[in-house]
Amino acid sequence: MNEEFENRLRRAMRPVNPPEGFAERVLRGLPERAAPANVVPLRIARPAPVSAWRRFSAPAALAASLLIAVFAGQHVATRQAEREEQAGLAASRELMQALRVTSQKLDLAFEAVQHPAPQPAAEEENRS
Amino acid sequence: MDSAQADTPSLLARARRGDQAAFAALIRMHQASVFSIGYRMLNRRDAAEDLAQDVFLQLYRKLDDIESVEHMGFWLRRVASNLAIDWLRRAAWTRGAPLEEGVEIAAPQPDEDPLMDRELLRLLGELAPAARAVMVLRYQEDRDVAEIAATLDMPVNTVKSHIKRSLTAMRGKMIGAQLVTAEELP
Repeated sequence: MNEEFENRLRRAMRPVNPPEGFAERVLRGLPERAAPANVVPLRIARPAPVSAWRRFSAPAALAASLLIAVFAGQHVATRQAEREEQAGLAASRELMQALRVTSQKLDLAFEAVQHPAPQPAAEEENRS
Repeated sequence: MDSAQADTPSLLARARRGDQAAFAALIRMHQASVFSIGYRMLNRRDAAEDLAQDVFLQLYRKLDDIESVEHMGFWLRRVASNLAIDWLRRAAWTRGAPLEEGVEIAAPQPDEDPLMDRELLRLLGELAPAARAVMVLRYQEDRDVAEIAATLDMPVNTVKSHIKRSLTAMRGKMIGAQLVTAEELP
């Protein structure tokens, strides 16, 4: 009985065709469909021949620059070390000189203490 | 399977390459199904034709995505049903619109009852859009529950529930109108 009702429903709902000329009307409304593009392989641009000098000049210049920079750096560092050494020697000489002067002064002071000068009273007695 | 259907894969391939005659053949193979989904859903032939044209236009744009003949049928039912549901939800003009006259005026078969068919279709038109789409796919397109669920992005149990409730409601109204007897109830 249930099945019979469903069959009635199926009969009532049979598919119906659209009005005549439906497909043609759809086709008239279609946009242009882009045709598949013909793929043409691009010609790979061949690089112009380059002379050996032009090919290697840039790396050679770069290498030379690096060498110059290294040697210049070393030279500057050596000169700097020499200057520092000279300054150190000069400072050492000055220090030795200062020590010598100080030692002489100390010797004089020691002499003065050990052998004091004659008393002024004795001198006055002699005068009178 | 007739010769046109047997050739469908090649028609599909030709249509993809821009062959309009092949696309027209594909339209003719599926136009009754797509148009009828629109017609049963919207209850208006002019709206159904607009909807069917829209669906085939979308198909034309998506031809490269269609994987097979079966996929095309599924795709057309899916787009037609969902588009019809959208139109129904957006436009109040279709709600309760009477079936148009002059449709399917073929000589009735001995077991046919045009009055009852008309009443059944009127009751179908009273269902909510989603339930109506389920019934159209089940009884017009003869699709099983799982495919209807996939077509409408709906859980299988929801599809079953729609079918059961819609059948009960329609039978109840038919009994009320004394078009069927109570013995026909399950």
